[in-house]
Amino acid sequence: MTQSNRLNQGGRIDRSRRLSFTFNGQQYMGFAGDTLASALLANGVDIVNRSFKYSRPRGITAAGPEEPNAIVQLGASEAAQVPNVRATQQALYDGLVARGTNGWPNVQRDVMSWVGKLGGGFMPPGFYYKTFMAPASMWMTYEKFIRKGAGLGRAPTEADPDIYDHFNQHCDVLVIGAGPAGLAAALSAARAGARVILCDEQEEMGGSLLDSREAIDGAPASAWAEQVVSELAGLANVTLLPRTTANGYHDHNFVTLHERRTEHLADTAAGAGREGEVRARLHRVRAGRVVLASGSHERPLVYANNDVPGNLVAGAISVYIRRYGVVPGQRLVLSTNNDHAYRAALDWQEAGREVVAVVDSRAKPDGDLVKQARDAGIRVITGSAVMEATGSQRVSGAKVVAIDTERFVVTGKVETLECDTIASSGGYSPVVHLASHTGKRPQWRDDLLGFVPGEFKGMHVAGGAHGVYALGEALADGAGVGAEAARAAGFKEAAAIAVPDVAVRHESPISALYQVPHEKPPLRAPKQFVDLQNDVTAAAVELATREGFESIEHVKRYTALGFGTDQGKLGNINGMAIAARCLNRSIPEVGTTVFRPNYTPVSFGAIVGRHCRELFDPERYTALHQWHVENGAEFEDVGQWKRPWYFPQKRRAGGQERLETMHEAVARECLAVRRGVGILDASTLGKIDIQGPDAREFLGRVYTNKWAKLAPGRVRYGLMCKDDGMLMDDGTTSCLAENHFLMTTTTGGAAGVLEWLELWHQTEWPELQVYFNSVTDHWATMTVTGPDARKLMSEVTDIDLDREQFKFMDWKEGKVAGVPARVFRISFTGELAFEINVQANYAMHVWKALFAHGEKYDLTPYGTETMHVLRAEKGLIIAGQDTDGSVTPEDLGMHWAVGYDKPFSWIGQRALTRPDTAREDRKQLVGLKPKDPKVVLEEGAQIVLDPEQKIPMTMMGHVTSSYYSPVLESGFALAVLKGGRNRMGETVYLPMSDGSVHQAEVVSTVFIDPKGERQNV
Amino acid sequence: MSEARSEARPEDNGGNAATFDAHPGADAGVTPESPLQWSRVQGRVTEEGGAAEQIRVVERPFLGHLVLRGGAITLDEAVRAELGVSLPGKPLGLVLDAEGSRSVQWVSPDEWLVIVPAGEEFELENRLRARLGDAHFAIVNVGGGQTLLELSGEKARELLMKSVTYDVHEQGLPVGKAVGTVFAKTSVVLRRPSEARFELVVRRSFADYCVRWLLDAGREYGLRVESASP
Repeated sequence: MTQSNRLNQGGRIDRSRRLSFTFNGQQYMGFAGDTLASALLANGVDIVNRSFKYSRPRGITAAGPEEPNAIVQLGASEAAQVPNVRATQQALYDGLVARGTNGWPNVQRDVMSWVGKLGGGFMPPGFYYKTFMAPASMWMTYEKFIRKGAGLGRAPTEADPDIYDHFNQHCDVLVIGAGPAGLAAALSAARAGARVILCDEQEEMGGSLLDSREAIDGAPASAWAEQVVSELAGLANVTLLPRTTANGYHDHNFVTLHERRTEHLADTAAGAGREGEVRARLHRVRAGRVVLASGSHERPLVYANNDVPGNLVAGAISVYIRRYGVVPGQRLVLSTNNDHAYRAALDWQEAGREVVAVVDSRAKPDGDLVKQARDAGIRVITGSAVMEATGSQRVSGAKVVAIDTERFVVTGKVETLECDTIASSGGYSPVVHLASHTGKRPQWRDDLLGFVPGEFKGMHVAGGAHGVYALGEALADGAGVGAEAARAAGFKEAAAIAVPDVAVRHESPISALYQVPHEKPPLRAPKQFVDLQNDVTAAAVELATREGFESIEHVKRYTALGFGTDQGKLGNINGMAIAARCLNRSIPEVGTTVFRPNYTPVSFGAIVGRHCRELFDPERYTALHQWHVENGAEFEDVGQWKRPWYFPQKRRAGGQERLETMHEAVARECLAVRRGVGILDASTLGKIDIQGPDAREFLGRVYTNKWAKLAPGRVRYGLMCKDDGMLMDDGTTSCLAENHFLMTTTTGGAAGVLEWLELWHQTEWPELQVYFNSVTDHWATMTVTGPDARKLMSEVTDIDLDREQFKFMDWKEGKVAGVPARVFRISFTGELAFEINVQANYAMHVWKALFAHGEKYDLTPYGTETMHVLRAEKGLIIAGQDTDGSVTPEDLGMHWAVGYDKPFSWIGQRALTRPDTAREDRKQLVGLKPKDPKVVLEEGAQIVLDPEQKIPMTMMGHVTSSYYSPVLESGFALAVLKGGRNRMGETVYLPMSDGSVHQAEVVSTVFIDPKGERQNV
Repeated sequence: MSEARSEARPEDNGGNAATFDAHPGADAGVTPESPLQWSRVQGRVTEEGGAAEQIRVVERPFLGHLVLRGGAITLDEAVRAELGVSLPGKPLGLVLDAEGSRSVQWVSPDEWLVIVPAGEEFELENRLRARLGDAHFAIVNVGGGQTLLELSGEKARELLMKSVTYDVHEQGLPVGKAVGTVFAKTSVVLRRPSEARFELVVRRSFADYCVRWLLDAGREYGLRVESASP
């Protein structure tokens, strides 16, 4: 196919670099510098998509991010698929493959098109809600069908070969948009010395300067843009980000920019010869000041069949001709309510094609551009508008009629002009999307017929973004605003750059026109589209208002106006104007809807950045991690820690070697601890160093039990409650010296407990002299436990291990395997235990020495699962597993660890003396012994007293911990049960989801060694 | 270090705090392992030296890390006498001694991080405790819990922009400044001791994650992580 619409000269494309691309399966040629849209238009491709709801053929309408129709699925391979790409924003590259996102099976022959043909009253707004409402159970089925028919692109089914990342940027002034105002603003701020970031979503910076007919300092406007960009590029304090869209404007001038780094070159970075580079980068910008120079979007007029391919917004015509050397048709009719749009007709004619007429809604337009058009022999029809386009696959004519905009009626005879292209312009809408993200509603300006951004602290608006459209004024505005922003950012001397010379153009004022009246009433006329992407018509908006939707927010939700990736770029103002007309109100009375991030679609990859795969979440390792890996540990995630879960060993059975199952390994590890000696890496326990003369007093206030008399060298178990009296964390705290303690916390609770201590110290008791410091990572902790623990320890330490000298709940300092250590006689297994703390850099040495000596005792490493079984056999709780924020120390049967008579009120005391916490029928911790020893109850299983009762049964409690005990040769569990301590010996029932019911006896929480003799040996 | 240093008196704990020399001594034949040991085993960290890359990350393992808690007025004189440098006068300040091998960093209004050459920390703690006497303060040895990474090279700043949320431009992080900041999904202490160098103090258990992140972020520039000999 030839590029039939391509001009022989002109445009900013490189005709020497021909690029081949495929669209909807057909191959075409374009040039370097093209967008996919300009290349498609050059090749005369009229239909690029089918519409969302009515499946009508659609063509390219605009030239920028506001394009509602040309939304494509990009990617040559499955892995490189990208949905929702606007063809107008996609740079052409060699080998590009794209297809329309709508249309099943394809855009030319569409099985959904019957819907569009029947259209009319068949699919009013709310059609899906109304039609597919019942039965509700079928909605999922309907939805799949509707989705497939509608389509909005699809995600790839294979992993993305590309990578994406994030960049944290900081600047004094962020300028969004590199059109005339943005460039001038950036230059003012940059010359003042401010750190400036200038971002622009297009391939090339310059914005409207790149397609302008005007001259700056006597040269083409684009030359000025090039000169400014080149100056900015040379400044060390300026970061230029082309191909970068500001997609979200968040609190405190935090702006997210989405930079496309290889997407303009190939569909993967590797395909572009840039293996390993990021495809897209999300810049997280913290800006001192933001200059919003986002320009404006031209509004199309709303008239019948305004969606037929060949209908474009007027400005897009100029862009395609002047930037890409593409004239998207032969015969043009322009329908406008303003002067600026006339340049489309002038550009068209200068490109050698026929302008059939300019249809102007104003009675007596007389601006310079109007005169130019008349002088060029172009027919100008005044007081009129294009009422309807004819044609189905492509415009074949324009029905033009005189109109009365006040009364919204046609006033003359319809004249049909033969043409293949209709350009329309209903005025300009400042791009207020980003400013709206801040939560500030835009303000209506009657003189502009548009909304401008509301005021927001730290934000400055320049140029077209607040309705300063004339080139000379936009440059001056930008220059001034850039300097103002720099001054506000602390560069007091900042001054506006000298504004270059631009001839002033006389313009006749715009007149309000949004929807063009039709001969027929709106609900009977052919469809007049307001929102092309979401297939919302003027009739739908009118119907919505008739059905009682008066708030524009409701109209929007009922009709889908401005939904989704479109965010109302072309249609919102027209929609509001139509609603206002129907409701007989003004546009500002109808209000505007809120625009939300993101301005244009952002690929998930860019949001995720490098936080994926092995970098998805930090993995925390102990100092002994290497040993665990080398010894075959299976790991369990505890918070972000990787803790050994169990250590499966090889077993030989029937001549075959296999690894133990988890059950086998845990049973072996449990028995080793109960009968010999085991070792646990307990380094993950939170450890907090507490120093100061009031350390002891502070402990007494944050723990429920007493600390006044704990002597140096002694260790105590402590319970920590929240102020509601519910257990928060537990652990042992050792008195290292009179004013010095070492607190341990649960692995998961470490950070929270330190914050808790600081919170109470800093806000409630700042007079207490005490400091807290985390030493979790400083110390490695190894627990040597079991009947043989002392024998093993005696071989490696100089500490006197005599049971009378080194008692249970004592700690001593000495050397273990030659390394200075603190050794604590505390036990979480119920067995004789020594917890060794050494500085973590020496941990591996000590650990290996223990194994060297431990071989003869069959020293067995065990993991968290065995730890759980062993502690549960002893009825030792795990905060967060056996408790859930609703359990008091009393509920756990730990009244012995509550010092009600302590002199100073401690955290939780008051709550624990409420009647509710003293109730006898609270859920209390008990042991459960299944009647069938083979049964291991499910954790979380509900307890009932009568299994025959009707559902819903009265639930009395639930299982919190449950394991198989190789010592008991039975399953056993801990549970919380209403009034549990008075139910000892009773049988309770646990109905399971499969209909079976387990029986269990309520027993003590201590299953092994109830007197606690084994840990005191 | 100052000539005016006092004699260390280990038995005097400055009032009822327990001190602890974590080191077994050179003759004990104990080989320490830095927090990057696992990364080294995995081949992510190499010995110091080798071909120059655009970014160098070098671990300085086994340094003495002490956290000092207390008011500036309480601590300043003792620190000046024993380390030869004053406490940083401003929040987020970082000062180094003349050799550049001992540093004091402002962490919070009553918290300082002191980093000294390997093995000096216990003696220093004792001397500080002796000088501070009964004042309200705390000294905590955290040397086993963190390690120091030095970053240098033309692209070091860009690498940091990918990793930390803080402003690493000259304007945000001039020489002599140190901050705690978000690093990917963890946190680090980021220091600027000299024009040519950034430093990261990373927690032991997060060290391998940090190394993985740095290697990944630095891939487009060329980056190697090395570990210096103690």
